[in-house]
Amino acid sequence: MSTSDDNDFLTGPVPEPEAEATPAERAHAKTFADLVDKTLAGRTPPAMSADDRALLEVATVIRAASGKVELPAQTKRSLVEDALKQAIGGAGRSTVVPISRARRRWLPWTVASVSSAVAAAAIALLIVRTPPRTVTTGAALLPLPIDQRSRPTDSLFGPIARDHAGDATTRIDTIFADRLDGYRDRELGRGGKP
Amino acid sequence: MKYIILAVLLITACSCNSSSEPPPTTKTAEPADAIDQNLMIALSKAKNFHHKAKVYMSDGNTAAAIASVREILSLQFPPNAPEADDVRNDARALLAKLLLGQGNLDEAMTVVTEGIAQSQRKSFFVANLYTVKGEIHEARAAQLADDKAKATAEKHAAIEAYDASNAIDTELQKQLMESK
Repeated sequence: MSTSDDNDFLTGPVPEPEAEATPAERAHAKTFADLVDKTLAGRTPPAMSADDRALLEVATVIRAASGKVELPAQTKRSLVEDALKQAIGGAGRSTVVPISRARRRWLPWTVASVSSAVAAAAIALLIVRTPPRTVTTGAALLPLPIDQRSRPTDSLFGPIARDHAGDATTRIDTIFADRLDGYRDRELGRGGKP
Repeated sequence: MKYIILAVLLITACSCNSSSEPPPTTKTAEPADAIDQNLMIALSKAKNFHHKAKVYMSDGNTAAAIASVREILSLQFPPNAPEADDVRNDARALLAKLLLGQGNLDEAMTVVTEGIAQSQRKSFFVANLYTVKGEIHEARAAQLADDKAKATAEKHAAIEAYDASNAIDTELQKQLMESK
């Protein structure tokens, strides 16, 4: 393809619109058409002239722009994965997950999303939930009856005679019995068990 | 997946509504001076130590009786419970009498003096301690029969102690009569 005619074809004078194509032009057009067909079929020649390569790229762009180019699925995946590899700095094959396999990874994402949603809901529940109100009844603020209160025990005995100075055992029995009565009254009044 | 998240949020919202307002609980205020379980436990222990001491005394084991009465002095009562002072002072009076019976006058006097000093208020039990104090002074006076001057001083101290006891009794009795 690299002939002097080719160079003339690109850089020579532009022929008249009505002028008959020369045999050289026809041969060149046929050769270029074959070249385009091979390229579209995926059989691009390994070597060609710079002019032919420029024309071929223009032809490819025009065809792609027309929307009729449909790359095979394998080629598409290959191209995308190559682009991804370059984007992540040329990492090894193991770090790049093929798109087809990546689509199968919806399950972990679903589990993670649901778990996060449940955790957020639990936190929201804790924040929104109000603690139970404690109501202090007015009756409880009233003073207790005297016999249910801790108090001096003098009134149980009066003055202690000298003869009974060491009768502490008898007195502690009296104190205990009296306070136990008050304690029972108080517990029963509160609905408890004595 | 968005349907799953939506379902979780709906369930959460429903649970918030269902448990929106727990019923208020009613608690009665606990008066600080109420007879409570701790006071009853302390009184019960004191009662048992006294009876234990009585059993020892009936058996002639004064040393064990003294040890049992001493336990009462270290009982833990609720803070600011007036019964604590009364029970301890009464235990001290008995302890001093037991020590007096053993002839251990100095220790008996120490027990009584500490009780009077540590008392927060006047009571018939404090008056009783003064009475026992008077008995200890009398016993000292009897021991000091050879030293007339010291014996007289002890007798005077005994009279002062009895007077103090009577003064407290009179004051408290007057207060009790007025309160009735």
